[in-house]
Amino acid sequence: MAAAARALRVLPRALRVPSATRQLHSSPVCLKARAARVRAGRGDKAVTYEQAHAPHHIGHRKGWLSLHTGNLCGEAGAAQRAIEDAFLRRFLAGTFPGLLADELVLKRRGNLLVVCALLGRALPPHKLYFLLGYAETLLGNFYKCPVRLELQTVPARVPYKYL
Amino acid sequence: MAARRAGAGCWQRALSLGLGRRCRLPRGPDSYRSSSSSPALGKTVDNSQVTQEEIVLPRRKTWDKLAVLQTLASTVNRDPTAAHYMFQDDPFLMPRNAANSRLYSLSKESGKNAAKYIIKNFPQYFDKTFAEPNIPCLMPEALTPQTEGMSEEALRERIHLRMVKESVDMFDQLLQAGTPVSLETTNSLLDLLCFYGDGEPTPEKEPEEKEDLEEPGVNASEQKAPKRQFQRGSRSSGPRWRENNHAERIFKIIPERNAHSYCTMIRGMVKVKLFLTAGGFSSAFEISHSQRLFIFVFLQHGAYSKAYDMYIDLLNERHKADVHAFNALIRAVPYLKERFVERWELTKDLLTHMAQQKVQPTLLTFNSVLKSLRRCGGVGRTMSLFVLKEMEALDIEPSLASYEHLLSVHYKGVDAPSSDIISEVLNEVENRNFTAQDPDDANFFTTAMQVCCDLKDIKLAYQLNKALEKGDNWKFLDVDRSNGYWSKFFSLLCMMEQIEVVLKWYKEMSSSLFYPTPKNILDLLQALDAANQLEMIPSVWEDVKQLGFSRRQDLLEEFLSLMSRDQHPSEIQLAFAKCAEEIKAVHEPAGPGQVPLEWTGSALGHVVVLFSRAGRTQDAWNMMEHFQKINRIPTDKVMDEFLNCAKQTNCPDEAIKMVKLAASLGLPLSQRLKSRTEEEFELSETQKKALESIKWDGDSSDSDSDSSDSDRE
Repeated sequence: MAAAARALRVLPRALRVPSATRQLHSSPVCLKARAARVRAGRGDKAVTYEQAHAPHHIGHRKGWLSLHTGNLCGEAGAAQRAIEDAFLRRFLAGTFPGLLADELVLKRRGNLLVVCALLGRALPPHKLYFLLGYAETLLGNFYKCPVRLELQTVPARVPYKYL
Repeated sequence: MAARRAGAGCWQRALSLGLGRRCRLPRGPDSYRSSSSSPALGKTVDNSQVTQEEIVLPRRKTWDKLAVLQTLASTVNRDPTAAHYMFQDDPFLMPRNAANSRLYSLSKESGKNAAKYIIKNFPQYFDKTFAEPNIPCLMPEALTPQTEGMSEEALRERIHLRMVKESVDMFDQLLQAGTPVSLETTNSLLDLLCFYGDGEPTPEKEPEEKEDLEEPGVNASEQKAPKRQFQRGSRSSGPRWRENNHAERIFKIIPERNAHSYCTMIRGMVKVKLFLTAGGFSSAFEISHSQRLFIFVFLQHGAYSKAYDMYIDLLNERHKADVHAFNALIRAVPYLKERFVERWELTKDLLTHMAQQKVQPTLLTFNSVLKSLRRCGGVGRTMSLFVLKEMEALDIEPSLASYEHLLSVHYKGVDAPSSDIISEVLNEVENRNFTAQDPDDANFFTTAMQVCCDLKDIKLAYQLNKALEKGDNWKFLDVDRSNGYWSKFFSLLCMMEQIEVVLKWYKEMSSSLFYPTPKNILDLLQALDAANQLEMIPSVWEDVKQLGFSRRQDLLEEFLSLMSRDQHPSEIQLAFAKCAEEIKAVHEPAGPGQVPLEWTGSALGHVVVLFSRAGRTQDAWNMMEHFQKINRIPTDKVMDEFLNCAKQTNCPDEAIKMVKLAASLGLPLSQRLKSRTEEEFELSETQKKALESIKWDGDSSDSDSDSSDSDRE
C-alpha cells in the first residue's frame, strides 16, 4: 500500500488523468400509471372502496360504473353513451351539491336510464324529494327517455381504508 | 335454452294429445316429437278414445303488451314494510306519518313543476328529436299560437290552445269588425268558456294549489279515473258563475244559437257549482254535509235556476237538448225545489222530456237521478230501487257510483237501517270488475266502509276488502281516501276483533297502507285495555312518537291513566316510568321554538304515581313540586303511592317533605300521612322533631285549597 502510493507520486503529471468518465445513462421512458389511482399519503385520507382500487381491478374487484350495451360487438352508440354519462355525472353533482358520497352508477335497460346515487344526509328529506322530482323530469325531457333516480342515503362517506 | 325447448315440447305434447292427429303441428327446427307416433302415421295408430268428431282449433290468443308484467305482479303480495311506491326505499327518505307522506309527495311534485317551468321557458334546449320514434310527451309544448292577425282561423287556434282570455278578446274584435263567425266556432268558444267557468285553465298565481283540483283541463274528466288528489278543506274560492260573465254575454249577442249552444250553457251553469259541492262532499271530514250544503246553496242559488230557465228557453225554441244537458239538469233538481215530493216530480218530468225528445239515457243519467234522490229523504229510498230496476231493464250496468248513491240513500243518518241493501251491494261488487265511468265512483269504498263501521259488522268489512283487492279496484282509492278507508277499518277491527288479530293487522298495515290517526291510537289502547295486555303500551308509545302525536293532550292523558291505573310487575313498571319521563319532557321547555305543554292535574298525578312505583323517588318529588305551580292538589292515591315509594327506597326526608307539603295545602289527609310516617319510617331525632313541628291544622299561610281547583276524584 505504501509502496503503491510512492509509485504514484513518482509518475509524471500527464498520466494522472482519471480513467472513468461520468456520462448520462438513460433507459427508455417508463412513466408511472396515474389514472384513477389514489397515491399513498400520510394515512389520514379516507378513500372509498371505489377510489381505493385501481382501474386494472375493474372486473375483478370492482364493477362498472356505467352499464350499457354500446360496447358489444355490432352495437352502436358507445360514444354517445360516454358523453351522456359525462353530462349526467356533472349534472347530478351540481344538482346535489356536496351530497354525493360516491360515484353514480348508471344503468341502461332498453330505453330506461336508471341512475343510482349514494347521498349523504345533509339535506332534509323533503328537499331531497324536490331535487329528485326536478332531476328526473328535466333529464327525461332532455334525453327523451324515461329516467329513474334511485337514491340511497348514508350518514357519512363510507371509508374503505385510509391512505 | 333447455327451458325453452322443454316449454315448446310441453305445448306440443298437449296439443298433439288433445287434438288428435289430423292437424299438422307447426314444426320448428328444435321441436321434438313427444309421443311416438308422427302425424303421418297417426291416422292408423289412434287410440280408440279419440272420437271421430270435428276438431276445432282454438283461435290464436293475442296477449296484451303488459300481460307478462301483470302476471308477474299477481304473484307478489303486498310488502308490509314498504311505503307507497312513489317514495324511495330508504329509511331516511321513507315517511313515517301522514304529514310527512304528504310533504314528500308534494315536494316531489313541486320539483317536477320546477323542471317543467324550465322546459317551458327554455324550449330551445329541449327540442332536438333524436328518439326513434319521437316521444311527444317529452318535447316542450308549443303553446304560442302560430296564426297572426284576426281571423276565424286564429280564433279557432286560440280555442284549441285553451287560451280563454285571448279567444274572448279575439271574438269581440271579430264581431266589432263585422266579420261573421261561424256557428261551430261560436259553439266551441262557448264550450271553452263554460268548461272553465270564466276562469283560466291553469291559474299561475295560486299558492300551493293541488294540481288535480285546479286542472279541469282534463277534458275527459267525467270518464277518467281520479288520479292522486289531495283534497283538503273546503274550496270556497274558485270558478264562480258571475253575473253576466263572458259566456252569458256572448250567448246573448250571437246572432244565431242552436241546441248545442243552449246545452253548453246549461252544463256550464250547473257544472261550476256542482264542481265546488263535489269537492266539499268528498272531503267533508270535519264539517257536516248539511252545513256545507247550506253555505253553497245560499251562495250559489242563482245559477241553477238560470240553468232551468235556459232549458225552458230551449224548449220554447223547439230545440232538443242532448243527454249531457239533461244529466246536468237532473243534478240541479235538488237545488230548484225544496220539498222531497216536488223534487221527485221534477226529476220525473225531466225524464219524460228525455223520452219525448228521444234522447237515450246513459249510465250518467241514472247516476244523476240517484244523486238527486240522495236529497229526497224517504221518497228517495223507495224510488232508488225502481231506478236500479230501470237500469237493468235498459241493460245498463250500474257503476260504483250508482251503488255509492244507493248506500248513501239507505244508510243516511243514524236511524236503524231499514233494509239489508249493503250485503246485496257487496255481493254484486265482489263479482264484477269495475272501470271508472263516473267521477263519483271514487267515493264508493269510503262510503261502504263507513256504513260497515256504523253497522259494526266486521264480516262485511272483510268482504269489502276482498272486493278491493280484485282486479283494478285498488285504483279507486287515492292516497287521502285510502288513509280514511283503512283508518275506519282499523277502528272497526279494534272494536270487534280479538287483540291478536288487531295487532297483526296493525303491524301489517301501520306504515305501508295507512298512517294511524289519533283516534286509531285511542281505539288501539282501548282494545289493549280490554284484552288486558297493557304491557304493549311502551311500544305503542314509540309508534306515537314516530307519528308525531306526542303533543296531543287527549292521547297523553289516555296513556298516563292506563299506565298508572294498576300495579304491574317491575320490568313493566320500569318501562312505564321511562314513558312517563318522555311525556314529562314534552311538558318542559326544550329548545327554541318549542312551546311546552301545560300540565293538567291528573297527568301530573299519574306521572308521580308511575315514578313512585318504579322507585324513582327524586323524580317523583320533583313532580310533586309542580303541583303548586299549576295550582292543583294531588289526590290521596298519589300521596299514598309516594309514601310507599319513599318507604321502599328508604328516604325519610322525602316523606317528611311530603307531609310538609300536604300540611301546607291544608289537606285532611296530612294527619294520616303524618301518623304513617311516624309508624313506618325509622326516623332520627332531628327528623322526628321536624315532623312534630309541622302544623297540620290547616292554618298555614300558603294554603291554596280554597281558591284553587281541587283535583280529587
